[in-house]
Amino acid sequence: MPFPKTTETLMSDRNYACQSPEHRISRRSLLAGLLGGSLGTGLVDAGLGHIAGLSHLIRPAVAGELAARQKRVLVFFMAGGLSQLESWDPKPGTDTGGPFRAIPTSVPGVHISELLPYTAQQMHRLSLVRSVNTKEDDHGKGAIFIETGRRDMPGQRFPTLGSAVSRLLAPAGAALPGYVHIQPGGAGVNKADAAFLGPKFASISIDNGKPPADLLRPDGLSPAADLTRNELRRKANQRFTARRRTADTEAYGYSYDQALQLMERADVFDVTKEPAAEQERYGSHDFGRHCLLARRLLEQGMTCVKVSHSNYDTHFENFDFHIEQLGEFDRPFATLIDDLAQRGMLETTLVLVISEFGRTPNINPGLGRDHWGSAWSVAMAGCGIQKGAVIGKTNDNGTAVAEREVDGRHLFHTYLAALGLDPKENYPNLNRPIPIGDPAGEKINELLA
Amino acid sequence: MAEVQPTPAQPPSQPPAPPAAPVMADPTQVRQVKEFKHNRPLFAARVDPSGRFVCTGAQDKLVARWDVDGDKKLELAGHESWVRGMAFQPGGELLLSGDYTGRLAAWRYAAEPPQPPVYTIEAHKGWVRAVAFSPDGATVATCGNDKLVRLWSAADGKPLRELAGHESHVYNVAFHPSGGHLASCDLKGVVKHWDLATGMAVRQLDASVLWKYDPTFKADIGGARGMAFSPDGAWLATSGITEVSNAFAGIGFAVVVLFDWASGERKQVLRPKENFQGVAWAVAFHPAGFIMAVGGGGGGGALWFFKPDQPNPFFEFKLPNNARDLALHPDGLRLAIAHFDNTLRLYDMSPKPAA
Amino acid sequence: MIARLFARFVRLPPASTALALAVLFCLRPDFSAGQEPPLNALIDQQISSALAAKGITPAGSSGDAEFLRRLYLDLTGTIPTLGEAKAFLDDPSSIKRQQLIERLLNSREFARQMQRVFDVVLMERRPANRIPQAPWEEYLRQSFAANKPWDQLVREILAADGAEGALRPAARFYLDREGEPNVLARDVGRLLLGRDMQCAQCHDHPLVDDYLQADYFGLFAFFNRGFVFTPKQKDQPVLYAEKAEGDVAFKSVFVAGATDQPTRPHLPGQKELDEPQFEKGQEYSVAPADGVRPVPKYSRRAQLAALLPRTDTTAFKRNIANRLWALLMGRGLVQPLDMDHGGNLSSHPELLVLLAERFAVMKFDVKVFLREIALSQAYQRASELPTGVEALPPESYAVAQLKPLSPEQLGLAVLQATGIADAHRISLGPALNEQTLHERIAGSLAPFVNTFAGQAGQPEQDFQATLEQVLFVSNGAVLRSWIAPSAGNLADRLNKLPEPSAVAEELYLCVFTRRPTPEEVADVTSYLQNRAHDRPVALQECIWALVASDEFRFNH
Repeated sequence: MPFPKTTETLMSDRNYACQSPEHRISRRSLLAGLLGGSLGTGLVDAGLGHIAGLSHLIRPAVAGELAARQKRVLVFFMAGGLSQLESWDPKPGTDTGGPFRAIPTSVPGVHISELLPYTAQQMHRLSLVRSVNTKEDDHGKGAIFIETGRRDMPGQRFPTLGSAVSRLLAPAGAALPGYVHIQPGGAGVNKADAAFLGPKFASISIDNGKPPADLLRPDGLSPAADLTRNELRRKANQRFTARRRTADTEAYGYSYDQALQLMERADVFDVTKEPAAEQERYGSHDFGRHCLLARRLLEQGMTCVKVSHSNYDTHFENFDFHIEQLGEFDRPFATLIDDLAQRGMLETTLVLVISEFGRTPNINPGLGRDHWGSAWSVAMAGCGIQKGAVIGKTNDNGTAVAEREVDGRHLFHTYLAALGLDPKENYPNLNRPIPIGDPAGEKINELLA
Repeated sequence: MAEVQPTPAQPPSQPPAPPAAPVMADPTQVRQVKEFKHNRPLFAARVDPSGRFVCTGAQDKLVARWDVDGDKKLELAGHESWVRGMAFQPGGELLLSGDYTGRLAAWRYAAEPPQPPVYTIEAHKGWVRAVAFSPDGATVATCGNDKLVRLWSAADGKPLRELAGHESHVYNVAFHPSGGHLASCDLKGVVKHWDLATGMAVRQLDASVLWKYDPTFKADIGGARGMAFSPDGAWLATSGITEVSNAFAGIGFAVVVLFDWASGERKQVLRPKENFQGVAWAVAFHPAGFIMAVGGGGGGGALWFFKPDQPNPFFEFKLPNNARDLALHPDGLRLAIAHFDNTLRLYDMSPKPAA
Repeated sequence: MIARLFARFVRLPPASTALALAVLFCLRPDFSAGQEPPLNALIDQQISSALAAKGITPAGSSGDAEFLRRLYLDLTGTIPTLGEAKAFLDDPSSIKRQQLIERLLNSREFARQMQRVFDVVLMERRPANRIPQAPWEEYLRQSFAANKPWDQLVREILAADGAEGALRPAARFYLDREGEPNVLARDVGRLLLGRDMQCAQCHDHPLVDDYLQADYFGLFAFFNRGFVFTPKQKDQPVLYAEKAEGDVAFKSVFVAGATDQPTRPHLPGQKELDEPQFEKGQEYSVAPADGVRPVPKYSRRAQLAALLPRTDTTAFKRNIANRLWALLMGRGLVQPLDMDHGGNLSSHPELLVLLAERFAVMKFDVKVFLREIALSQAYQRASELPTGVEALPPESYAVAQLKPLSPEQLGLAVLQATGIADAHRISLGPALNEQTLHERIAGSLAPFVNTFAGQAGQPEQDFQATLEQVLFVSNGAVLRSWIAPSAGNLADRLNKLPEPSAVAEELYLCVFTRRPTPEEVADVTSYLQNRAHDRPVALQECIWALVASDEFRFNH
């Protein structure tokens, strides 16, 4: 009697993450492509010399091809609620517009706040969505909606974009973690990001220059000793798995080899290793260094980098504080966009500038603006996104969306579609059927290239 | 209202005469006597030397001129953004106002119908935060977000001098009553004393109690929101917010910091007996020797009267709304206060007539 | 005998099988175990006949060492000590496996391990905000130590409001979910009935025909009147309270123009409860008032506690049978454990029905049930593929599954392997017992839980190897300090053994719970010979290499 058909996939398939067309190379053949095709956990060259991401793992031709097709995500999270009126959707001279002017950008007819002069010069690479209505003015729920594409509901949690993309797009053999969150004072693994995808796809928080915890070899453990003890470990594994190999044992054994590679390149997390001229271009303040670090990590093949900029929750003195915060943001952000474009990386990198919500058109007695989810903006650029487009409109004084209202669901669908993924599909190889995007969402077609 | 002897007209080149001995103002009897309604939150208020007009800046592009004792309201148009800094020319006919695009405008404010500015200057990159007149009415000082203090000829707006050295936004500027000296205060509470003969900063006073870098929100809050010299030049007062525990919610206390000008020492931190959560937006000296300040915050608006030697006010008056600026009428009895609720209010400190 | 004949007919659909079983039972006046094959034999019959039908030859029985380690990890959560390992391996008795099973099932360590397992099953590592972790753990441990039947345990948990002293910890289930009715509906469905009906909150489940929105809200209705009550006095306990009013209605977001459908509480697939009506003002025995916890005369929660954990609730039996099976066998007969529905067939439908029925007949006796599984050949199979076989489907149970160690098992096993647990035992001296040792080492597990556990409140994930975990093992301070020699630990003892073969023997017995092969002895010998100048350091590398290996990481 045949075994009954089960809907869940064999456990042995679960850890082969490559599902997208660009990544049909399985890990087995990746390993086989190494040095002579011996399968198993031996990575003899691990730790010797400098190994930079995929390019030294496999033959150069394949490396170039993969690198060219590898897609990345760069998320700027403006923590606290960036004011759309002081950034992407200014309304100068109105009762809600505040004191700042609007300035022309590199896209004729498109104006943004005078607080973003350098960004204005990159406008031809960016697109704006000015008609976001998430109806959410709570920090936590707002962040969840904009990052996971689903409203926060009790008992349910969905993966953030970075975790989803790390799961769906990160190359199986990569030594670098798939998703890193750069934030001042950051450290640790953010398991909540990955939800049911599991901690492997969670973001790892780092601060500038400081690698993830325990990445550096402790004093007293020489590199040579580390190599020999790992040789012992591999030998033990070879014996054990000779007649017991599963995807799990392979994943576990291989993770040590990946870590060894990463240890050799621990300085990939250290932005001070960039040339001094580059460090100067980006600036010595936190956000500037974070942008440079993001560029460094993306160049090395990291799949998703999220940079948080704090803080925008300006219930008091909104204008003074936006001068200060956007003053920090504008130039390094514009520099990074330009650099990505110059290096040919912008086409394969999806860039988002998002926040939990926007800020009220109404100016309160403390010259502040409060939480506002009803009519605000996000900016996007790069992979799969139109250039210089403006989607949607708010009314004259920004108190309501006038055209093309969208929310977190549509945006999430759009992020995925821009990367060449189908948000209506279920996550592959998951032990229950869960669609990637909210079934009630639709991508914003006019935003997609 | 009590009788006031008129101030004799003075030629502009001489410093104004001290006001004739007024009826004694009694702060404890302060009361509202008039309201002027605008259509946007007010931001600034100044009374002209003749006492006929109050001019206000608001969260719009206009300078409004109100008749103190009448109903007329004129709008002076010529700015491109909000006006917070303004000053009347002592012994002259000009009002100078600065806006948040950096533009300085000079107005013959008494003209009717209202005339466009006599001249406008792009005085600063970014906001003009304050405007002050020299006691002789010849020079205008402005300061702003480009970290500069600049001096201009009042007559034609010609630039006279640039005073550089501040390392953050300059919030306020004031001339010493003696004439040759200027004080400016920046975001971090650095007060520079400038010798105008040389254009050099000769010393620094420390008002950093008014400044805080909030590590949670990673932003600075501070600055002298109000600044004034006593008429005899002995004291310098700066006002703002202190002990900020949450910059983005404005949780901190309104205070006035008082310096002995001669020694440069901080002598007092004046604050309401029960801490007032908010900002002391403006401060002014009364010729009789007491200090007045207004504040706005979570608890609404308040008007405080201090003596220089006592940290707590000798009188507090609750205002109907958040207050952003304060100007003393030349009669020494009335106060014009600019409020957030679009309203300019006039208050009277004269002893109430016997019933 | 009749049962064996019957087993040939296992191809019957489940409903008929259940009927046939029921008929069988009714025909037999004597239900005692002596008259029919024990459950473990029935398990093997089912598994074997399925294998035979597929033409699969299963692996043979595991060796003693593999069985020893597997049983210890499954029943006590850790690996045996050097002495325990030697004693078992060198024991010539032919019934030593059965004896070991008995001994471990009756040990305090077993109750402790069941406490850990069911803490994770029931609370999924949610933070202990309302009920502290310690009394909750002790409540579970005592329940398993007393071999409290599963249905009674669930009844206590579902009935708990936190008011009654001894059973207050049981209210953690409700209170540390903040009494949130959606969370409770989902979790009771998943954890106690084996059905994840999350997607049925807004509409009939789009992909699973059996999970209806009506069923989701039937469960939800047991919880909608519940709430967390905080007394005014700070020193009074927080309770899970219930109002006497509040009705539930639902409609599908996918049906345009849908109208609200009211529902009263009901278990999935069963009819709505008839609920008593009270005159206005008569609904409470303690009326709500400021600072007063209301007590309704009729409690929906009490109804759930009475109805759910019963023999008649098929999903209840199937769920626990499946979970206990998975605990030992490495995968459920329904997999995932909370996706039991018609479109996700069990790998052995009749076996699952049998196990569920039998567990109920055993009066939900966890120990007896686990004993039967442990006695089966299927459980005791080797984990190595038979020669000539390249792969076997895991759901065939033809070969033993590799099970990644849970975070707690890993921590405890590392503590034991490195000899730190031994050092604690020595230092406890005459005061040593399971409780005192547990108190010593429980805190050491925290870094393992932080590093190896998934996100709190989420279903257990499939195995993942994360960067953080690898770095913890490779470079982390905890393991380094445990491996480094300290009084009485493994490195310390190995340093004192001059003979490399003795080193290899103790090393492998302590870490892998087996003796080394000759090749392994040769490897250790040559490794140490090359490192005569820093032998102690080399020894630590050997320990590390084994601890970091697949053989250690997985239960096999």
